[in-house]
Amino acid sequence: MRYDCVVIGGGLSGLTCGIRLAEKGARCAVISTGMSALHFSSGSIDLFGYNGDGRTVFRPFEFLDEFIGSHPLHPYARCGSSRVREALFYFRDTLAREDIDLYNNEDANHFHVTTLGTLKPTFFSQRSVFNEKIRLAFEKKSKIAALNFEGYRDFYPELAVINLRRNILFRNIEVISGKLLYPDYGDPQRNPFEYRSIDIARIFDTERYIEDLAAQIRAAAGDAAFAAMPAFLGITNFRRHHQLLQQLTGLLIYEIPTLPPSILGMRIDNALKSRFAALGGVYIAGDTVKGGTIAGGRLKSVATVNGGGSELEAGSFVLASGSFFSGGLVSEFSRVREPVFGLRVYSDAERSKWHAPEFFPRGGHPFLEYGVETDERLNPFTDDGQTLKNLYCTGALLPHYNPIREGTGGGVAVSTGYRAAELILSGNR
Amino acid sequence: MRRIETRAIVIGGGATGAGTLRDLSLRGVPAVLIEKSDIASGTTGRNHGLLHSGTRYAVNDLESARECIRENKILKKIARHCIEDTGGLFVTLPEDDPSYHGKLIEHCKYAGIRCEEISVQEALRIEPNLNPGILAALRVPDGTIDPFRLTSANILDAQERGATVLTHTGVSGIIREGDRAAGVRCRDRGTGEEFEVYGEIIVNASGVWGQELCASAGIELRMFPSKGSMVIIDYRINNVVVNRCRVPSDGDIIVPGDTVSLIGTTSKKVDYDKIDEISVDEDEIATLLESGEKLIPNVSRTRVLRAYCGVRPLIAVSGEMDGREISRGIVLIDHEKRDSVGGIITIAGGKLMTYRLMAEMAADLACAKLKVRKRCRTQKTALPGSERRLDQAKSVKFFTGIPNSVVGSTLYRHGQRIRNILHREKRNYGLICECEMVTEGEIEYALKKLNVKDIVDLRRRTRIGMGPCQGQLCAYRAAGLFVKYDSATSTESNKMLVDFLEERWKGIKPVLWGDALREVEFSYWIYQGLFGLGDVRFPEEGEDR
Repeated sequence: MRYDCVVIGGGLSGLTCGIRLAEKGARCAVISTGMSALHFSSGSIDLFGYNGDGRTVFRPFEFLDEFIGSHPLHPYARCGSSRVREALFYFRDTLAREDIDLYNNEDANHFHVTTLGTLKPTFFSQRSVFNEKIRLAFEKKSKIAALNFEGYRDFYPELAVINLRRNILFRNIEVISGKLLYPDYGDPQRNPFEYRSIDIARIFDTERYIEDLAAQIRAAAGDAAFAAMPAFLGITNFRRHHQLLQQLTGLLIYEIPTLPPSILGMRIDNALKSRFAALGGVYIAGDTVKGGTIAGGRLKSVATVNGGGSELEAGSFVLASGSFFSGGLVSEFSRVREPVFGLRVYSDAERSKWHAPEFFPRGGHPFLEYGVETDERLNPFTDDGQTLKNLYCTGALLPHYNPIREGTGGGVAVSTGYRAAELILSGNR
Repeated sequence: MRRIETRAIVIGGGATGAGTLRDLSLRGVPAVLIEKSDIASGTTGRNHGLLHSGTRYAVNDLESARECIRENKILKKIARHCIEDTGGLFVTLPEDDPSYHGKLIEHCKYAGIRCEEISVQEALRIEPNLNPGILAALRVPDGTIDPFRLTSANILDAQERGATVLTHTGVSGIIREGDRAAGVRCRDRGTGEEFEVYGEIIVNASGVWGQELCASAGIELRMFPSKGSMVIIDYRINNVVVNRCRVPSDGDIIVPGDTVSLIGTTSKKVDYDKIDEISVDEDEIATLLESGEKLIPNVSRTRVLRAYCGVRPLIAVSGEMDGREISRGIVLIDHEKRDSVGGIITIAGGKLMTYRLMAEMAADLACAKLKVRKRCRTQKTALPGSERRLDQAKSVKFFTGIPNSVVGSTLYRHGQRIRNILHREKRNYGLICECEMVTEGEIEYALKKLNVKDIVDLRRRTRIGMGPCQGQLCAYRAAGLFVKYDSATSTESNKMLVDFLEERWKGIKPVLWGDALREVEFSYWIYQGLFGLGDVRFPEEGEDR
């Protein structure tokens, strides 16, 4: 098979890249081993949440302008501030076509509430997680009802409420809690005390139970203006059901991301795959790239585990295979390596330096900042030092940034994915 | 200041302290046990969980070997649910001295240990993962024992017979009245409350920590701590205990336990003032993995789950300081005779295997001083949960409707007490820890009956968070259940979630490569990236109450 571009990795970065390429008419394939990190994410897209001292960044683009100058190796510096902006709003428009409406507070960050009631600065959130009405109600100090399903083992609002109450932003805001019952949908084999977020989401993907749920929410929320609940509103019909529930209850219904699988992240994952397919992209699921043929400083083709003898040829390739967790990087007793092409990796030689002494360190863990070294055009280097001119590395695979400490994971994935697509497109023309 | 009066005070909630408390309770002596942390959190919970047959000691220490095999037979009857009668092998590798094999057979005979020479083929049939290059094999009655379960069962029995157990309570010093130790000053580490406990006899069962304790009563007790490190691998790669047939050395045993296997052990001297800060060294991990691989080649292809270490409490018999008289056996000291301080005795040395015998010796001496003329009953009285032989088929039938795997795991961990835990109610058997099949009902039971103060304690009672994911999802769920069952406030639950993850981290750090690193990235992503747990600010003590 021959493509214009083969993207290795079907996560946030790989799909953003693939969509941009396909949209511009490139024949494009995305190869994905399995579920991407979106399934474990908050479903909000962070741009820049914290500065070097761990303080909250309020205006991320302004911050970025300055930051890039002093951090030339950071993935955002590889893109440039204006291209990061272009990429993020491109991403928002892409999801809008798939019926996911992302909220952003103009150029500023907003906060989403976590499962534990801490606040995370982020740039885009789905409108069921944050929107203007929520902000207004919040500013009026309206009462919040934290509701949960009886026996749902993956969400305990009590643990969140105590932390919210202690937060200065929530001072003088009353938070009450209440219980909801699952509808009896007639599967005696399943134990409702073992439901995961996805089981609940599937129940509420059908309209059948929405009315009953609305009545329960009204009763449990009392005179509150908000009902905050674990994200449960389905994967496909969530937007309609969210509106319906708000109409029926007269309340603002607010979703909180929970333990994986992340319903909010899965919606984005679905939307991206759907958009990619609509543009004629080929999505190869459940296969893994195991190596490739390199000649004259270029990657000619890649071989996959399920591909038999045949290789996938392309003019350009994108490696968006993620970090350790997704298998893009592999660590061994005394080294870190990139497993597909053996690319040059940035890491510390001594294993004792890979991590901080505590699990929750102020400065984050060094291993999160390891990854495949690239030049300014995101091209990596082989073991013997040659640059692979037609291979572009994006997303969590890249080094010199710390997605969790900085709150940059989603933004880096989107903007480097988009950047790689632009480089490929300009190179081809 | 609150003042508690009792007859006997036991200090230390390891196996020996718990055993002593139970022994005294069986003889009708009112007793209070004080433990600074959780039960089985010190040396007791930090060994490889081997139910010794005594073979390992047969050549060098016949006395210990005899004690081991005697206690081995007793424990197989009284602590059935804490034990797996796996059997054990001693295998000779090509590089090992072949004469040790014969010597071991001979000395086992002296010690009364049934030690049977088997063919290499037979050994490989019993343990297919064994290195096929071994030259000779012996079969011995080794088994495995779960130290947490054992200690908890002793405590549970004592409490049901009226004893008082104070965990997370530090002893700040012994109260002297003239030439006697009359009681102890305590501090509840949760609430900060200070109080005193008075009794006619104090049993110091605090192991290696006894040096400090005795010093507070003006008694000199000299410990010679030695560190032992172990590595846990993430699958049960062997079903029988595999020992290397050579002079005792580092990395010569692999013990299966529940869902994992353990490679033990190293031995390094540590300074007394460092005993609470010990950690596993890089070279120890390399040694253990290299040696383990020689016994079972699969070791190198299996994920390493964690590494941990404990301190052996070796003790100087006389008050002398030069360390020549270090004993590896059981030491019972009557401080009235030795140091002219009445009202206190020390039981130390020994091994997890001989905890019951040590408890019997301590309780005998305590009873003599209290003038209680009751005999020890612990050789014959089964621990709670072990009253009858465990019959999985019968339990599965009794609990029809509940998944067999849940019934099996609960029975395995709690023996007959399964009847107090499982009910045919969906809430009860809904899984909280999916790696180790821990249900909400088991957690509720542990919170209400087994002296659980935090998630780390809960792990020791139930195995929650001990599996491959090391508490990724279940830690949060458990924190929620503490609030649900009124066992903690929301703030305390948040705090114990941090403490639990930091505690797990200690054991993962030394083995942070491969899948362990992947798992950590995921956990950190959830608890910091998704939950922001590291950003939670905890109020100063008392602010929330």
